[in-house]
Amino acid sequence: PRNAMPSIPSRALPARQPANVLEEARTRLHVSSVPESLPCREQEFQDIYSFVESKIIDGTGGCMYISGVPGTGKTATVHEVMRCLQHAADMDEVPPFCFIEINGMKMTDPHQAYVQILQKLTGQKATADHAAALLEKRFSNPAPRKETRVRLVDGLDLLWTRKQNVMYNLFDWPTRRHARLVVLTIANTMDLPERIMINRVASRLGLTRMSFQPYGFKQLQQIITSRLNRLKAFEEDALQLVSRKVAALSGDARRCLDICRRATEICELSASDPSALGLVGMSHVMEALNEMFSSAYISAIKCASTQEQLFLRAVIAEFRRLGLEEATFQQVFVQHQALCRVEGLPPVSMSEGLSLCQRLGACRLLLLESSRLGILQRVRLNVSQDDVLFALKAD
Amino acid sequence: MSKRKGKDTHLPIGECITQAQQILRERFCQRKLPDRPEGVEAQHRRLLELLRRTAIHGESNSVLIVGPRGAGKTTLLRCVLRELLEDKDVQKNLLQVHLNGLLQTDDRIALKEITRQLQLENVVGDKGSFAENLAFLLEALKKGDRSSSRPVLFVLDEFDLFAHHKNQTLLYNLFDVSQSAQAPVAVVGLTCRLDVLELLEKRVKSRFSHRQIHLLSSLTFPQYLERVRAQLSLPDHFPDPNFAQEWNADVKTLCEDKSVEEVLQRHFNSSKDFRSLHTLLVRLTGISPLVAVGSTRVIEHPVWNNPFQLPCLCRVSVSKPSIRPADLLDASRLCLADAKANMLHGLSILELCLVIAMKHLHDVYEGEPFNLQMVHNGTPTHLKEEGGGGEKERGFFSCFFCRTRLPRLEFKKFLQRKSNSMYNFEQPVVMKAFEHLQQLELIRPVDGSSAKTQREYQLMRLMLDHSQIMEALQKYPQCPTDVKQWAMSAFA
Repeated sequence: PRNAMPSIPSRALPARQPANVLEEARTRLHVSSVPESLPCREQEFQDIYSFVESKIIDGTGGCMYISGVPGTGKTATVHEVMRCLQHAADMDEVPPFCFIEINGMKMTDPHQAYVQILQKLTGQKATADHAAALLEKRFSNPAPRKETRVRLVDGLDLLWTRKQNVMYNLFDWPTRRHARLVVLTIANTMDLPERIMINRVASRLGLTRMSFQPYGFKQLQQIITSRLNRLKAFEEDALQLVSRKVAALSGDARRCLDICRRATEICELSASDPSALGLVGMSHVMEALNEMFSSAYISAIKCASTQEQLFLRAVIAEFRRLGLEEATFQQVFVQHQALCRVEGLPPVSMSEGLSLCQRLGACRLLLLESSRLGILQRVRLNVSQDDVLFALKAD
Repeated sequence: MSKRKGKDTHLPIGECITQAQQILRERFCQRKLPDRPEGVEAQHRRLLELLRRTAIHGESNSVLIVGPRGAGKTTLLRCVLRELLEDKDVQKNLLQVHLNGLLQTDDRIALKEITRQLQLENVVGDKGSFAENLAFLLEALKKGDRSSSRPVLFVLDEFDLFAHHKNQTLLYNLFDVSQSAQAPVAVVGLTCRLDVLELLEKRVKSRFSHRQIHLLSSLTFPQYLERVRAQLSLPDHFPDPNFAQEWNADVKTLCEDKSVEEVLQRHFNSSKDFRSLHTLLVRLTGISPLVAVGSTRVIEHPVWNNPFQLPCLCRVSVSKPSIRPADLLDASRLCLADAKANMLHGLSILELCLVIAMKHLHDVYEGEPFNLQMVHNGTPTHLKEEGGGGEKERGFFSCFFCRTRLPRLEFKKFLQRKSNSMYNFEQPVVMKAFEHLQQLELIRPVDGSSAKTQREYQLMRLMLDHSQIMEALQKYPQCPTDVKQWAMSAFA
């Protein structure tokens, strides 16, 4: 089997179907179940659709740059455009075309882009250099009957090389007369072309740009509602709280869906009687939000052992004495011994003090230099002093 | 002894002790799973539910288990997996892939390992570069779907090390699979870093579901005591019930002893995690650790790095088949001993004198680095060298400082003052002693570039604290009185 492709074996028993409302809601809220049409991205959909459609109908090529923070629906929108165009092509409304997708993150090396494009075009396998040459020939020579190719390049910033030849080629091919190539590129930062591309690459990318704004709270709410699709699992206020929180922090739709999913789990756990499941309410959502957004530093300090807490106190005392945010272990240790005496605990040996310090450093409450420096290593706090004092005082 | 033998025991006493040692050894050294995880019921239930949903419903998930070292992260996961696999459906369906950040140091190796553990290697063959392997794996996962393909559980131990791989390709792809309609996967990461999310790139972070399970111990001292008792007790199914009963009663009285409680309180204050407790108990019960070399985490126990202490460890023996409070005190003393002070006990008098001279220099110059010349002669050579030009004023001041104070401190003057020819060593001998101190890392060069400067002039720092030197001096066997006095001498 030379061309056998590996696959995950199929399961002995089919997966169980969702049994109750909450499970059903959880399935629908999973990020992977992308809906047929994306709510709140109609304008962007329209823009990309008309851009690609016009290129296909004219038989010309072009580039488009799409940017936006993660989780704003860039890839999903482009996929939806392609689905619709494919449907239109099947109905003979637009000329037939083919669609190729590559992702910078899924490649080990920028030059692998050539290999993947060639393989998706012809099924042929070649080394990176050979593939580049073949593609070059393909795109520059006229062929009798050619359909337009639409190419989606995700994770554009990872295709950066020092000579930028991969990006150059990707944007140069559409400008050839015979290529009939439409390239859609996706990246996170808006100013990527200005920042990392040399002029001849940036000019070939052209000025057709689009940026996806982070979702506002109304949009997030609409997304969840449309996913749930009249399934009654959430209280209205709970949904609003989630979307407002997420919109205030990042506007990432994935986060919003994850929190809702977690809230359904909490609701299921808290229900005493499994047959009578209630709606997901405010309290469940609050708990999920706390779990996902709160930082663990304070509880970690609270749960630390007595000597570790004392060491943190010593660090702060030494910082106050020095007026700096950095001290050597030796200096802190003197404070630690004094604090031990005040608290009436037996003094610890230097080795034990070092291991206390290393333990705090391993869970990143402290930032340490390499432990080979022994007592000369410098210690800094990774949390603000106020947080430490709050955590130590609260009980 | 004779009384014990007089009872109708089923087994000879030596056999009993071997059995008991075997059981305790499994518990402390080979990380035998407890019957149920203690103190983490909520976390256990949450993780179990999550993995069960992946296995049964085919829901993709990702979760991070975060907790300090020795808090029982791996134990929790293994307990959950043990319970999960009791279900026949799950057992038939779930595929497991275990990766460790310390072994799979880059994505290429990790990918090979994934292919191997998924048993896809006969399909992939040895053809294919790293890039092709990745393409194969992604293709395989993509072809699967939620309801029909077997769910895969990825366990990433030392998760934070995976975040240091180039572009975080592996993490991106695993999380991406978990967030798209492909083969169902559950990604479980174990890490001790609280700031692990800040290590992730933002598109990787966006794809991670932000579920974190924190393992922080909220143990109180009575619970700790109870745990010590439980850890030392023999189980009910011990072959010789009489011996087990007596042993358990002994352990109970041991834990109620006042001095024992005091020692355990001290250990509890220092750290709450179970691994440091195990270190103490290993010492206590005299389990020869070398037997446990088969287990994976052997190196982590500090005891095992010191083979010279083994002979005195075997405390529980035929002539003394129980643990006494004194044993615990001894074991605790070994655990709490200061390593550097122990090293000082092994130095020669000359080396000790050099250390004292350095301590005096350290006091006078408030932590400025020194070199051998200063330690030996008291001539501040580095000041002389930089004395020309603009540095003159500062040089003068420092020299003035030296002339008035230094001659009383450093090594050679010490000899002259004492007119004690016993320690009158040649320069090369002193040099040798100095180098030995450097090899022991009791002193450390200030900058790494040692090739440029001559050895006598290389600037050094002392890696010892005052308290350590003074303490070692008190306990040094047959320390000459004048050396002691010199060390103590306050200078004003």
